[in-house]
Amino acid sequence: MTALLWNLFYVLIFPGLFFCILMGILLSGLDRIWVARMQRRVGPPLLQGWYDFLKCCGKETIVPRHAKKAVYFAAPVVGFAALITIALFLPVVGGKPAFSGTADLVVILYLLTLVSVCMIVGAAASGSPFAGVGLSREMVAMISYELPFVLVILAISKVTLTADSGLPMTFSLQAIWDYQTVNGPLIAHWSLIPAAIALLFVIPCEVGMHPFDIAEAETEICEGTLSEYSGPPLAVFRLTHMVKMYIMTALFYVLFLGGISTGIVAVDVVIFILVCVLLTFITMSLPHAACARFKVEQVFQFYWTFVAGLALISLILVWLGL
Amino acid sequence: MFEKLIDNSMAKSPWIFHVNAGSCNGCDIELVSVLTPRYDAERFGFRLTGTPRQADIVVVSGPITLQTRDRLRRVLEQVPEPYVVVSLGSCPKSGNVFKGSYSIDGPLDKWTHVDVSVAGCTPKPEAIVAALAKATEILKEKRKEMRK
Repeated sequence: MTALLWNLFYVLIFPGLFFCILMGILLSGLDRIWVARMQRRVGPPLLQGWYDFLKCCGKETIVPRHAKKAVYFAAPVVGFAALITIALFLPVVGGKPAFSGTADLVVILYLLTLVSVCMIVGAAASGSPFAGVGLSREMVAMISYELPFVLVILAISKVTLTADSGLPMTFSLQAIWDYQTVNGPLIAHWSLIPAAIALLFVIPCEVGMHPFDIAEAETEICEGTLSEYSGPPLAVFRLTHMVKMYIMTALFYVLFLGGISTGIVAVDVVIFILVCVLLTFITMSLPHAACARFKVEQVFQFYWTFVAGLALISLILVWLGL
Repeated sequence: MFEKLIDNSMAKSPWIFHVNAGSCNGCDIELVSVLTPRYDAERFGFRLTGTPRQADIVVVSGPITLQTRDRLRRVLEQVPEPYVVVSLGSCPKSGNVFKGSYSIDGPLDKWTHVDVSVAGCTPKPEAIVAALAKATEILKEKRKEMRK
């Protein structure tokens, strides 16, 4: 009975639904304020994301005539649920995830893809030509960031390989966290620094932040994938976008800055939140304020040459045992 | 309680969709200047959206030309309730210097309800911000009425 209650607590409060939404709104609000300040504007209130979500809930939902109704409504919910599931695998506090497995890093990789796939499926079900262009662009973005992302994960797993596990590589976040507790954070491991930089570049594209938001280019293709969505389904998509900011920064924290624990849960949580906020500033606000939107082929080229190259350097160094 | 929160958020997060119904581009530039650092409409939560499906405030500029009339009506039909129509500048309200032209089929209130109208050719950005602020209040009222 207590186990069931704890599981409910994990899923609904911390580190699940409630905490994810809270962090997503906080990070997106801070991001928008920072971008505004860098452009010498005042910027929206901190809770703007929450207001946007509530407003969308209060609007009428229009289902286009050519839409597949069931998929049109299911896609945002499934995507959001997949995203919340990722949070349960991240050992953010004290190195203890709510649920763990032997290869949870692979599960996270698939769940992150599922979130993007749900967006593609939802766009395809809405039957709009603008959404069609948007989903093809979303696919290009996915192909762009998946390669460096997988290379980074391979490099990390090779480093944290422990002799007693008997596996060729470890894909367990728990094992990666434990390795960092003993040997210090992985970002201090010099051969992994290119991989860390590569992951920093992967974060904004995975989230779909401004210079890489080719799928939702509102000026060119009318919001792309979201062009037919209105009302509560749109609200869920907006929330997914915000929570993804938190999930990706938290993933970077676990992979490269994990293992640090003061022993006091409250202090750990505060450190974790501060790291997420800092990463949001570096990876999302700065490029947003500095760059104009990339073209589709520019994103693809950038990720498959520069970012994948960085990740590959790390991988080769790690396999050479450096 | 939740309904009340939604009512309040209505006024705090209005997304604008801009329709150019044959405007000379003067009003369009003034509307964009409202979003720039000097006037910064984003501090009230305004956001320029690319699709009528996500719009709360539809801003129409220009006299309604025969070419844009049908497009304008189609766009307005795509906007989910509740929404507010703002007419920007003198053209959609009266036809301005184009009044009586063979290619004009205005004014705007012939085709839809106009909730707020800004006069001027072109209107000042301060006037546009004031009009948009008024539009958010009307939006909130409309939401309350829709709930009943």
